[in-house]
Amino acid sequence: MEQGKEISLNMEIMIQSLFDGALMGCIYALIALGLSLIFGVMNVVNFAHGNFVMLSMYFSFWAGSIWGVDAVLTPFITFPILFIFGMLVYYGMIDRTLKEHYTIQIAVTVGLMTFLGAITQLAWKAQPRALPYSFIQGNIQFGGYTIALSRLTSAIISLIVIVSIAFFLSKTWPGRAIRATSDDSDAASLMGVDFRKTYALAFGLGSSLTAISGGLLMTFQQVEPTMGLRFGLLSWCILALAGLGSISGLLISGLIIGIGESLAMTFWDPRARSLVIYLIFILVLWLRPKGLFGRKE
Amino acid sequence: MKRKRSHNLNNLLLFLVIALFVPLIFGSNQYNILLITTVLIYGVMATSWNIIGGLAGQLDLASFAYLGLGAFTSSTLFIRFNLTPWIGMILGGLVAVAFALFIGFPLFRFRIRGVWYALTTTALVEVLKVVFNMWEEVGGPVERYLPYFSGSIKYMRFGSYIPYYYLILGMLVIALLVNSRIAHSKLGFYLKALGEDETAAEVLGVNARACKLRALVYYAFLIGVTGAIYSNIYGYVHPSFFNGPESIKVAILGIVGGRGITYGPLLAALLLVGAQEFLRASLGGEVSGLYLVIYSVILILVVLFKPRGIATFFQDRNKKPAKQEVKKKNVV
Repeated sequence: MEQGKEISLNMEIMIQSLFDGALMGCIYALIALGLSLIFGVMNVVNFAHGNFVMLSMYFSFWAGSIWGVDAVLTPFITFPILFIFGMLVYYGMIDRTLKEHYTIQIAVTVGLMTFLGAITQLAWKAQPRALPYSFIQGNIQFGGYTIALSRLTSAIISLIVIVSIAFFLSKTWPGRAIRATSDDSDAASLMGVDFRKTYALAFGLGSSLTAISGGLLMTFQQVEPTMGLRFGLLSWCILALAGLGSISGLLISGLIIGIGESLAMTFWDPRARSLVIYLIFILVLWLRPKGLFGRKE
Repeated sequence: MKRKRSHNLNNLLLFLVIALFVPLIFGSNQYNILLITTVLIYGVMATSWNIIGGLAGQLDLASFAYLGLGAFTSSTLFIRFNLTPWIGMILGGLVAVAFALFIGFPLFRFRIRGVWYALTTTALVEVLKVVFNMWEEVGGPVERYLPYFSGSIKYMRFGSYIPYYYLILGMLVIALLVNSRIAHSKLGFYLKALGEDETAAEVLGVNARACKLRALVYYAFLIGVTGAIYSNIYGYVHPSFFNGPESIKVAILGIVGGRGITYGPLLAALLLVGAQEFLRASLGGEVSGLYLVIYSVILILVVLFKPRGIATFFQDRNKKPAKQEVKKKNVV
C-alpha cells in the first residue's frame, strides 16, 4: 500500500518534470533554429551563437530596466538590433573568411565569443541580472500539477515563431532563396540569387531569432556573462540530434534535450543536467552521424 | 630543406638562451615568474596541440581534459599513497593516453571529423568536469590541497616558482622536439596528407585511423605530464581544471600561430597569452573584463588579416606559401 503511494507520487513528479522539460525544450528549439539557419545555409561554424543569446538577454534586461518594457515585449526592440548586429558580423568577419579553412572561421567566431563575454562583463559587471516580474507571471493548476504561466507562454510563442519561420522558408521568395542557396550555392547563383545577400540575410535572421528566445528566457531566468557557452553547446547538441534541413526534427530534438535535462535534474542530481545532454550528443554522433531526422544527401 | 631546419634551430636556441635567463631578470618577484610560467604552460599546450590540430588537421578542443586527468592522477596518488609526483607525472601522462585511446577509437572509427569532432571534444571536457565534481572520492566541489613539504625536491614541492619555471621550460623543449621530429617523419607526412584531404589520403593507402590515434597519443601524453606539474605549481586540484573555454583558447593559439608550423603555436602563446596576462596584471584590478576586450579584438584582427598564422610574418618573404584551396563542402 505504502509502496503504491510512493510510485504514484513518483509518477506525479515525473509528469511534472516532463512538462517543465518540454516547455524548456520549445525555447531550446528556437535557439537552435537560428544556429541551424546559419550553419545549414553557409556551413559556417558559429561558436558565438550562445553568446548571441546572452547578449539578447542583456539587451532585454536593458530595455526592461530603463524603459520599463515587459520582458515578453522586449523582442520587439531587440529583434531589429540583433538583426543589424548579425548583418554587421557577417559583412565584417564571416564574409572575409568564407574561403578560408573552417578552423579560421571557428577562430574568428571564438574571438567574437570572447569579445561578447568580455564586453557584457564590462558593461553589466559579473553579477547575475534579472527583470522584475512579467505580466505573464503566475501559475496554472490542473490536477496535481503546477505550470508556470511564463514558461507556458514562452513555449507557445516559441512554437508560433518556429512555425512562421518554416512558413517563411517554404512560401516566400527570400526564404526560398535561402533554401536554394543551402542546397547548392552555385546553382542558386546561376538562377539569379545573390548568394552573399542571402548569406547576410540568413545570418541576420539567425541572430535575430536569439532576440526572441532571449526575451522569453528573461521572463523567468536571470542572465550572467558566463552562460553563453552552455547555450552554444546546447544548440549544437540539438542540431546534431536533428540533422540539417528538418524544422520538425529540430523541434523534437529540442523536446528530447529539454526533457532529458529536466529528468536528470529531478531524479539524479542537479549537477548532472549537462552530463545527460552531452552523453546523448556523443552517442548520437557515434551512432547516427546524420542526425535522427536529417535528410539524405 | 637542410638550411631551413638549421635556421629554425638557431631561432629555437636563441629563444632558449633568453628563456634560461628570464628568472635572473625577474627572479626577485615571484608573481612575475608565475605569470611567465603560465604563458609557457600555454606554449607547451599549444605546441602539443599542433601535433593533432596542426599536422593531423583534427580540431581537438579537449586539451584541458588531458591536463586535468594528469593533474588528478598525480595529485591523488600523492595525497593518498604519498607517491612522488616525479613518478606520478608519468602515470598522469599514461592515464591521459588511456583516456585518449578510449575516446579516439570510437571517434575515428565512426569517422567523426570537422566541427563534430571539435564539438565532441568540447563536450568531453564538460562531461569530465561534471564527473569529477560528482566523484567525491577523488574530486568533489572542494579543492584538494597537496601536502606541503617545504623545499622538498623529492616530492616536487619547491619553495619558489623558479624551479617550476625550468620544469615547464623543459616540457616545452620536449614538446618542440617531438613536434619537429614528427613533422619530418613518415608519420608527419601522412598526417599532413590527412589534414589536407582525408579521403584522398586514404585512397593512397594511408591508414587514417592509426595515424590519427598515434598523433592523439603524443598530444595526450605531453599534456598529461604537464598537468601533473600544473597541479604542483598551484598546490591543489579541483574539477575546474577541466576548463572548456581555456581548451578552446589553446586550439585558437595553435590556429593563430600557424597550423603545422612547429614554433607557430609557441609564438602565438608568447604574444597573445603574454599580452593577455600583461593586460590583466596592469588593468585587471580597475576594470574587470577590459583586458579580455582588448585581447579578443587583437585575436579577431590577427585572424582576419593573417589567416595563415602569425608565424608567416617571419617566414621567408620570397617564398610564397602555396595557396590552399579548401572547398567548403568537404568540411563536414
